[in-house]
Amino acid sequence: MDETVAEFFKRTILKIPMAEMMTILKAWDFLSENQLQTVNFRQRKESLVQDLVLLCEKKRASLNDAAILDIVYTQFHRHQKVWDVFRMSREPGEDIDLFDMEQFKRSFKKILQRALKNVTISFRDAEENAVWIRIAWGSQYRKPNQYRPVYVVYYSQTPYAFTSSSQLRSNIPLLGQALTIASKHHQIMKMDLRSRYLDSLKAIVFKQYNQTFETHNSTTPLHERSLGLDINMDSRIIHENRIEKERVQRVTQETFGYYPQPRLEFAQYKLETKFKSDLNGGILAEREEPLRCLIKFSSPHLLEALKALAPAGIADAPLSPLLTCIPNKGMNYFKIRDK
Amino acid sequence: MELADTLRPDGDPKGGVLAHLERLETRMHRSRKKLEEPQTVQAEESALVTEIQKLRRLRDKLRAEVKRRQAGFGLLHILQVKASTANVEPDQTWEITEQEVLERKWENLKAVLQAYRFTGLSGKLTSRGVCVCISTAFEGNLLDSYFMDLIVQKPLRIHRHSVPVFIPLEELSAKYLETNIQHFLFTLCEYLNAYSGRKYQADRLQSDFAAFLAGPLQRNSLCNLLSFTYKVEPRGQSFPLCARLLYKDLTRTLPTDVTVTYQGMDALSTSWEEQRASQENLFRTKPLHHVFTSFARKGEMLDMSLVS
Repeated sequence: MDETVAEFFKRTILKIPMAEMMTILKAWDFLSENQLQTVNFRQRKESLVQDLVLLCEKKRASLNDAAILDIVYTQFHRHQKVWDVFRMSREPGEDIDLFDMEQFKRSFKKILQRALKNVTISFRDAEENAVWIRIAWGSQYRKPNQYRPVYVVYYSQTPYAFTSSSQLRSNIPLLGQALTIASKHHQIMKMDLRSRYLDSLKAIVFKQYNQTFETHNSTTPLHERSLGLDINMDSRIIHENRIEKERVQRVTQETFGYYPQPRLEFAQYKLETKFKSDLNGGILAEREEPLRCLIKFSSPHLLEALKALAPAGIADAPLSPLLTCIPNKGMNYFKIRDK
Repeated sequence: MELADTLRPDGDPKGGVLAHLERLETRMHRSRKKLEEPQTVQAEESALVTEIQKLRRLRDKLRAEVKRRQAGFGLLHILQVKASTANVEPDQTWEITEQEVLERKWENLKAVLQAYRFTGLSGKLTSRGVCVCISTAFEGNLLDSYFMDLIVQKPLRIHRHSVPVFIPLEELSAKYLETNIQHFLFTLCEYLNAYSGRKYQADRLQSDFAAFLAGPLQRNSLCNLLSFTYKVEPRGQSFPLCARLLYKDLTRTLPTDVTVTYQGMDALSTSWEEQRASQENLFRTKPLHHVFTSFARKGEMLDMSLVS
């Protein structure tokens, strides 16, 4: 086995936490059960990794097999990457999309390899007719850098693709082109939506986050008092502003619904508006140029935090539509200019 | 006179005959009374018991009435009334209250509304419009249901839905939602039912007939392109065939284009060509899982003929 490939194997297997080693190796499905049983998984990690690399060498594992292991690891640790969302479009009135996964893969590979001689492209099929693509970029003179790959997740016959953010920005247009052509679209644009939580991004763009519907068959009550205003609590507690509390709760439920919110970590607002002040003659009020400022809301779970603001008394209800439109519009990056 | 004396062994001659007769009379009265007493007591007793039962019944009825007026309609209250009147003699018929009739009608109506989803297209009024439910089915199997929350405003719009992203909902709604909602709903039903049917066939092939497949089944989200390599006999010596099914009409569950080839063979003898063409025809005319069921049955028949 090539030295660089062996090194790549070693570093990829070293990344895997001991607790997940068996699961990930089984999901990789390259080493058989019997072969895995010959290895002692209780030894120190370094020795275990050496044994596994030897096994891979014996089985003549290729660079592609290592790349697939890398994909499996990333699938288990998708939160370690930050994901961007791209939306593709095609001219209306096109023929029916007869998506052939093999044809897509061939086409995608051909387009990239035609433009860049040195590039490693690997595919792994995933559930719901999706494919994970791993791309290691090289250049005309340099071999692909296996330690800074880009991942793309594409669900067939949808206009959306999810890519892991990469510092190597120069190759993004080429990647976009390959995706667009291979999936038989015409245009691609980057959405103002970014998060670590790939599944939440998918829920937002596929509009799968608000899925409780009223039917005659549903037995679950729609109006659950989930925000804790329990009026039947201790009778010694008196709610002085019960009416207002109930209004706030109602408005919150109307805006945020009864479903668990998709998970985002931040919302960023870039303001380029003129400063508006009630007071005449403030320093900022006389300026002609727009005030540039960046406001960022961060949270382990931004939308749940926003939902809790009004009931906690920290903000007025209803919240600003700039905050509540995030899942609907599929944006968490905003540029606000004067109209 | 002596008689009276002999009757009183202690020898008291008081009263004489008349007194003696008196005493006999009293004795007789007493003993008759004693005979009568149980009967009257019994009669009195039973009269009282009946009275008690009547009063109890009246009390229960009044209680029930009070509760009903307090709580309004409630199934629980009806059951209580029924329970309290359960001690009544079996031959007494109690009237079915108006409320019970309404309750029964209400339960019936709810059941009918719930059953409506079996028609494939049903809905429920919401505060802002209607929530439409499209229940898909294929060959008598009830499959997934898809929902759409419509807001009845000018313009009519879809607030949210559970239709998969690869179904051309935007296209259809842009074309028909405003102008012809019936056509919109029926077309959407067609698309969703056809998608469900195709998905059902592909799932059946993967799960029930995996033994016939020589490799993984290639499919896509819409299940409108299926590609697989198969054998007519799972364990047999028959040659593997490659099939490619295209469903260009998204409202149908049968493919529009079928290509079957013998794996790795270009030129075929006439008999093999005939077989190949007949395989193509099978896939074009029968649902996918039925084709494989017929392969399985042929295999069984062959086995049986070998045994016999």
